[in-house]
Amino acid sequence: MDFSVITDHWRFLASGVLVTLALSALSGVTSIAAGFVVALARMYGPRWLRPIVILYIDSMRAIPVLVVLVWTFFALPIVGGITMAPFWAALVGLTVHLAAYSAEIFRAGIESVRPGQTRAALALGMSRAQILRRIVLPQAVVRMLPAFGSFLSVTIKDTAIASVIAVPEFMRQSETVQGQTFQPIEVYTFAMVVYFLLLFPVTRGVDLVYRRVAHLGRS
Amino acid sequence: MTLDWSVVWQHREALVAATGTTILLTIATMAIAVPCGLMVAALRLYAWAPVRTLATAYVELFRNLPLILVVFWAFYVLPIWTGLGLSPLATGLAALALNVTAYNAETFRAGLNSIRRGQVEAAMALGMSRTQALRRVIVPQALRRVLPVLASTWVSLFKDTSLVSVIAVTELAYVAMQVRAQTFRVLEMLTAMAAIYWLLGYPQAKLVDWIQRKYRVTE
Repeated sequence: MDFSVITDHWRFLASGVLVTLALSALSGVTSIAAGFVVALARMYGPRWLRPIVILYIDSMRAIPVLVVLVWTFFALPIVGGITMAPFWAALVGLTVHLAAYSAEIFRAGIESVRPGQTRAALALGMSRAQILRRIVLPQAVVRMLPAFGSFLSVTIKDTAIASVIAVPEFMRQSETVQGQTFQPIEVYTFAMVVYFLLLFPVTRGVDLVYRRVAHLGRS
Repeated sequence: MTLDWSVVWQHREALVAATGTTILLTIATMAIAVPCGLMVAALRLYAWAPVRTLATAYVELFRNLPLILVVFWAFYVLPIWTGLGLSPLATGLAALALNVTAYNAETFRAGLNSIRRGQVEAAMALGMSRTQALRRVIVPQALRRVLPVLASTWVSLFKDTSLVSVIAVTELAYVAMQVRAQTFRVLEMLTAMAAIYWLLGYPQAKLVDWIQRKYRVTE
């Protein structure tokens, strides 16, 4: 094995890692924010909206992220006349897909807070919004932490699929280097090490934080 | 925008065969990954310490790698390592099985750990050997508990089979994108692909919800 192929192309590969990190961070933030809105719409939204939201969530659980990404990049320009650069198409596709998952995490977290607490708060004269903000969410957020830890790790892993629509992230850059040098063992072994080093601390880090704050979520 | 949906009907035979491959891949992967996952979990819990470390390392590695990278790695590295000329289908199956086995091992480990220690102790007090206690007392209960998790792994796996399209396994995503490339009916083919995945995946997602309700652990 000759790992000089990595050092020869390190700048190219490092740029891929940066794109992977940027895409992960951005799609993590957008899909958690969108998921929160979707969960609220599912739980507290108008009655006519709920079946639509449920259909959206279950559809995203049924369709592969690859299909969503490819559709967003190739088919959306034809339908909507919107042409996006691969990076933005990937951000949109990943957000549409992952928001459904984060919505389910929010819902499970919020529903895990006993209804008695909501009733007690209503009896004390708090409004629905106040109850959510001051009673339910502070406990639910702590309980959701482990789920969001694996969510984050799924997000980073899913950004690798964006290589299929030519986003110059780390997976794509590794494929390119492999295609030019024909040293798959070195390139893909290196890619495995990099992804492991990116993902392992995320899952472990969230676990550590959760262990410190878990008592705040008990009731 | 002129749409010509007849292209989907013209290629129905290829699409049906490809859908068959997708389903076959899902079933075959699970058929490998359930017994292997159970074995890895058992090794991780009860084996000789160095083997235990090895099993843990395998599980942690594959849970922290994007599947698409594992697929590429298997495609390029497995033939060199094993000296076998594996077909894309066999390579894809190997990559999926490696990945899902790691997830299943973690699921089984959690399931086995969730059965209270007292039960093993009670079984041993009744004169059973450790293996007997495991086989006749612990595993049957653990299997019931892990069923909901296995079911959602199944749905994820069904969607993840689309990723082996990158090494030209003729499953649904690959065939649909091939037809798209040959006919230039981009929107039609990509939508048909999404629709087929949805038709197959949606009932599965709903079934998972039902299994999770039915087998929910309440203490």
